[in-house]
Amino acid sequence: MPILASLLLAALPAAQDPAVELLDHGALTQRLQRLAREHDTVELEEIGRSRGGRAIHALRIASGDAGDGRPALLVVANLDGPQVFSSGVALRLAERLAADADEGVAELLATTAVLLVPRANPDAAEARFAAPLREAVATGAGVDTDRDGREGEDGPADVDGDGRITHMRVPDPEGTWTADPADPRATVEADAAKGQPGRWKLVVEGRDADGDEEASEDPAADAVVNRNFPAGWREHDASAGAFPGGEPAARALMDHVLAHPEIAAVLTWGELDSLVEPPRAASKEDGREIPWPGVMKADAPRLAEVARRYRELVPEGAKGSGQDAGSFQRWIYQERGLPSLAAVLWDVPLDAKPPAPEEPEEPGEPGAEGDDGAAGEPAEARAKKKPDAEPSDDAKRLIWIDGAGEDEAWRFVPWTPFEHPELGPVEVGGFAPYARTEPPRDRWDAIADEQLAFVVALGGMLPRLALAECTARALGEDVWEVEVAVTNDALLPLATAAGLRARTVRPARLRLQLADGDALLAGRPQVLVDALDGAGARRVERWLVRTNDPAGLSVQLDTDGAGRAAATPEVQR
Amino acid sequence: MIALLLAAPLLAAAPQAEAPTGFAGTAAGRAPQVEIAWNRLYDWDEVYGLLDRLAARWPDLLSFEVIGQSSEGRDLRVYTLNDPATGAPETKPAMWIDGNVHGNEVQGGEAVVYAAWYLLENRDSNERVRALVDGSAFYLLPMVNPDGRASWFRDGHSPHSSRTGRHPWDSDRDGLVDEDEANDLDGDGSIVQMRKYVPGEGTHRISADDPRILERVPANDRGIRGDWILLGSEGLDDDGDGRVNEDGVGGYDMNRAWPSLWRAGHVQYGAGPYPLYWPETRAIASFILDHPNIAGVQSFHNAGGMILRGPGAKDFGDYPRADVRVYDSIGQDGERMLPFYRYMVIWKDLYTVYGGFVTWTYEGLGIVSFTNELWTNSRLFPDESDSSRRSGSADRHFFDDNLLMGAGFVDWHPYEHPLYGPIEIGGFRKDVGRVPPSFLIEEMLHRNALFALKHAAEMPAVRVDSVTVEDLGAGLWAVDAVFRNDRLIPTRTARAAEKRVGRPDAFTIAGPDLEVLAGGVRTDRFRPERVELVEREPARIVSESGVPGRGEVRVRWFVRGAGPVTVGWTGEKARDASATVPLGD
Repeated sequence: MPILASLLLAALPAAQDPAVELLDHGALTQRLQRLAREHDTVELEEIGRSRGGRAIHALRIASGDAGDGRPALLVVANLDGPQVFSSGVALRLAERLAADADEGVAELLATTAVLLVPRANPDAAEARFAAPLREAVATGAGVDTDRDGREGEDGPADVDGDGRITHMRVPDPEGTWTADPADPRATVEADAAKGQPGRWKLVVEGRDADGDEEASEDPAADAVVNRNFPAGWREHDASAGAFPGGEPAARALMDHVLAHPEIAAVLTWGELDSLVEPPRAASKEDGREIPWPGVMKADAPRLAEVARRYRELVPEGAKGSGQDAGSFQRWIYQERGLPSLAAVLWDVPLDAKPPAPEEPEEPGEPGAEGDDGAAGEPAEARAKKKPDAEPSDDAKRLIWIDGAGEDEAWRFVPWTPFEHPELGPVEVGGFAPYARTEPPRDRWDAIADEQLAFVVALGGMLPRLALAECTARALGEDVWEVEVAVTNDALLPLATAAGLRARTVRPARLRLQLADGDALLAGRPQVLVDALDGAGARRVERWLVRTNDPAGLSVQLDTDGAGRAAATPEVQR
Repeated sequence: MIALLLAAPLLAAAPQAEAPTGFAGTAAGRAPQVEIAWNRLYDWDEVYGLLDRLAARWPDLLSFEVIGQSSEGRDLRVYTLNDPATGAPETKPAMWIDGNVHGNEVQGGEAVVYAAWYLLENRDSNERVRALVDGSAFYLLPMVNPDGRASWFRDGHSPHSSRTGRHPWDSDRDGLVDEDEANDLDGDGSIVQMRKYVPGEGTHRISADDPRILERVPANDRGIRGDWILLGSEGLDDDGDGRVNEDGVGGYDMNRAWPSLWRAGHVQYGAGPYPLYWPETRAIASFILDHPNIAGVQSFHNAGGMILRGPGAKDFGDYPRADVRVYDSIGQDGERMLPFYRYMVIWKDLYTVYGGFVTWTYEGLGIVSFTNELWTNSRLFPDESDSSRRSGSADRHFFDDNLLMGAGFVDWHPYEHPLYGPIEIGGFRKDVGRVPPSFLIEEMLHRNALFALKHAAEMPAVRVDSVTVEDLGAGLWAVDAVFRNDRLIPTRTARAAEKRVGRPDAFTIAGPDLEVLAGGVRTDRFRPERVELVEREPARIVSESGVPGRGEVRVRWFVRGAGPVTVGWTGEKARDASATVPLGD
């Protein structure tokens, strides 16, 4: 019963248990099913199955009829494997929308359809709930990564038995990694150009199952779902998959987009960002590919405005990381021509202030003390600290973790010497799984609330076409000039420049309806309007009609995702 | 398995055991066991019917599996031609031959059937055919696009229409799907041209040579006025949008839908919303990816007389030189086998194609792949030196009048068009121009099928050429093996090696009482000590580059032990090869 459920949700105290929950596939599925059962506004659909055979679900949340031409906003969460937190936010969003809690939500649902894919990559997400704990990035087609003629024979493993898969620093004269002088717990690539020797190979924690002196170098899965989309797809890169859409989860998502031409914008929660650092106009538009997040010049101002509004509502949004090539976000903009709004819900902040300088011991503890090779280096590094010796991003993240107290200490596993069964002495440690994707628990609900606010705001920015100033002016006894303006007062245009280029956004159809016996003297019975900017843009169409009843004429406007309208002319004799 | 060097003489001896039967391909040859009229083209179900007849006659050698369905639900059948007595198809290099991805390019289908028929008819009577069938498998897909083919036969079409598949597609983006197909106004099965008589106001006039030909009035006005205008292809404005025939069924190109250098629809017409979107392409890609033994690809199209290879677009750059040598060798032989055909690079000599099929099978999968464009009108008048006689209208009429008794041309006849009023309809029929006339079909099929078989005969075949054992004393031995590929195509093309496609080759050594101490590929024929010793696992030397075409790889192992040792080669694109020799004595 919708009302009861919403009351219960609203009444829950914001105690230490956040309302955002991280659920495994089975539990999440049940919650989505319950939501659809209990709310008329929620429809649940299975849009495909993952490679691992798990259902990929999509919700449609809206009040009123489907197929009334209203715009839809597609929200996709947890496409990147480690971003399981985003599916918690997605579930929370769905529940808040279903509860129809406030005026903004009611308005959104009455005018817009929210299409939500709460967990686009269920295979990867399941790793969050399994032991040992690991981040699953690749879940797709495997290849013989190490070219030994065997496929997937040496994957990650919890060699030190601590229940997590982290990283290993393997001492190796051919290693290219070394300790960051600013914080030796951070591992950085050695700068060979400055004569800096590498000390380690940095690898995912694992055995050397195939005895080739390399650990975890040939995992069973190589393809990454969010590199398996066509735009900028990297052929022959194992992480890109055998072909675009070769990963069932990627294909299901593309088919879902294609099945919903009413989608007017796409919001993703993952590793990529286009909102905190807004898109730039691409330098070249004649090129066939515009590198993400570059956008076409004509689109840049509007998308920058969306991003500005996002930052107003989400003041602490995180910057992006990860690879755009072959991403869903890039496909959405470049090849579907839709505004592709990408948000990173959280990352370990890079701007934490280091502790006061009179505590010089701190950067060395606790992990680095166990690091024999690194002993003495912090002091040395401090001694010759130059202004340009900027700490690495990982070192900056460690500053935040160090300052965040005991509750957040789990995020970094101190490097610990370990006698590896095949490789000999190594160190195991580094950032813990999900350290960079799961915010502190006291932020969970606030982040979900901010995103809800943005979703509501975004609904108001989607293109909505209307008819205005529809007139019939007498030119003669029974000859009339019919005129109408098609308008769009929303921020976003009917089609982006990318959409016009890709020819993927179907034009609006403007039709003049004549009665029997009427005749069209000039004009086309159906006008296709492919371009109409936002923010009050207008386009005027005219027809000449021979009719005895000008008031009986009507003009109809039909779109896939920018609304429908009809008007009868105001007769001006 | 015993070394192939032992097996080879047996193969040559076997076929002579019984009296030869079948069709020898010479003029006084025996009647074929399965008579097929090669002077006509067949509808989609008839094509399967022909192959079914072959499968009924040679049930052990020919079978099919359904790999998927077309948009309209027709089965996509891949026929496997293989002799199980000489090994399962997966153990042999396989030649993929398909046709008719463009629905109107029908004769590709017959060419696939012809290749199967030729192999089966001649296998028992021709040693070379026998060796080809014994050593290879053939995966044959006669129609990539049976829907387009069926429509081309069934519906009114021009030589150029029904290229697309039949998946619904809103070509004019007006919200209605496939609502303005071409209209066969006179119901004669062909979509021809419409013209209208507008005395003194036209752009065209009747040719003085032939009243059936319209020619454009010269642009520099000397007072000459045309009496005719052309109104395009036969059709109506079915949806009343002011355009004629602008949204027929489908409206895309299944040869622009493949993953390598795929580009979206605004760059490459017909590409679809993502690679392999159309069910036919998806099914084929799955089959090919599941069969890494495919070592040669031919995709039959029409028309223009071309033997095409990639790259399809300038963006790609050049193919690796070693692979170009292979392509050139086969392609140039093809020019001699196929008079009037030219061996061409798609983007450079034809036009840019993103996402083509044979560019995917080569650039993506490292398989030497060709597309033949079957039939050229040059063949009407076999005088290559006279380029003026290629395809001018007057010559086409001369041919049609004298050799087809006018059967290929729909004479201009009046028609009352709802929009244009009184007009005339006429032009060459759909089965003229891109497909040969009946009496020239067989030659086209034979030459093209045999070109594909020549390509197949160049798929890699590795044998152990020699194994030499050298006693190094104290129970140590050096074992030298020469692995030879007599064929033109390497076991791994340069492209496959460069992009690390598939599984690398491996050279192996094993024995019941053998310890392999070291090993590697020799780099100098005359200096045995020049060995690129592998870092680990010398008993299984992995090779990205494989065995070159018409070339060899020499491997040297250092072993301790006694008794028989077996050296071998294994890889995806040729049959495994091995040889066993004793250490000492």
